[in-house]
Amino acid sequence: MKVVFQLAVVTLLTVAGILLWSYLFPSPQHIIRARLNSLAHVASFNSQQGILAGFNAAHNVGDFFSTNVEVDLDMTGNPDVTLTGRDQIVQTVMRTHATLNELKVDFPDLNITVGPDKNTATADLTIRAQIDGDGNSVAEEMKFTFQKIGGQWLITHIETVQVLT
Amino acid sequence: MSLKPENSPASAAETLAGNPGSHSWVRVAMIGRNWKVTLVRTVIWAVITVIIFRVALVRVEVIGISMLPTCPEFSRYWVNRCAYLWHEPRRGDIVAIRLAGIHEMLLKRIIGLPGETVAFADGHVLINGVLLNEPYETNSCDWEQPPETLTNDEFYVCGDNRTMPQQDHYHGRCTRNRIIGKIFK
Repeated sequence: MKVVFQLAVVTLLTVAGILLWSYLFPSPQHIIRARLNSLAHVASFNSQQGILAGFNAAHNVGDFFSTNVEVDLDMTGNPDVTLTGRDQIVQTVMRTHATLNELKVDFPDLNITVGPDKNTATADLTIRAQIDGDGNSVAEEMKFTFQKIGGQWLITHIETVQVLT
Repeated sequence: MSLKPENSPASAAETLAGNPGSHSWVRVAMIGRNWKVTLVRTVIWAVITVIIFRVALVRVEVIGISMLPTCPEFSRYWVNRCAYLWHEPRRGDIVAIRLAGIHEMLLKRIIGLPGETVAFADGHVLINGVLLNEPYETNSCDWEQPPETLTNDEFYVCGDNRTMPQQDHYHGRCTRNRIIGKIFK
């Protein structure tokens, strides 16, 4: 019985140690996952949000991207969209705030791969957007490319992944 | 002489009942004749349930009209993830196709198999130049698409709602590893 108790204590301490370690020194995957969840949170808005809050949110969204970011979207039934540079992203987000009443963004599936240099990473993800709370949502698979710039993981490229070719 | 622990399930039930004989069926109904066997049985059933509802089956809700009239919008189905363990997907199967994961999927019907040539002519599907019989297609359409030959790892999938404009209807080739399973209704 004493051995079982000692084993339980050792297991508990090991689990606690691993959790503490991952909290103090999070892996790049963990950091990128957290950033993407923050991005989804910042990019989402509801009808109660005012103009100033929208302006602020648009600039906050811009903080997740590198200055020379490139976005290539090719979605079925919609015209192709190409954005270049952080400023265009911010302007697009501001236009979205002006056009839509409500937007809810989330990433239900995330597969993050960190490059061998530990400074680049790609996230193969599903982005789901619910527009104006009508119950209909749009889902697309996308590939986000990250680069560690100034100690922060910033998005440098976004492209649509064609599930059906 | 035998000793029964005070906190044994039997003694607890008897104490609560006040009359040991008349309430023994409660104990049997709650924990069985042998609590160890009941515990093992419960664990086994829990594991089986988790495997079935977390691994083998996935519940999906249809969003969109591309599978009309077979799968109306907001209808719900189960996807059998084990359907293709012993055989490959077949023509006519309605399959779930994953995006980056299984939280969002496409629901399409397989019309072309690996190695075949698929084309649309005057709204009809041609497989290797031969007209495909599609009893599920009740409406006519005017889709046109030049022949495409599938590789050995590709299936051609399409929704049943061909009344949609072709450019708005997401259809095409998908690789085998994206097919999660078959829906059953």
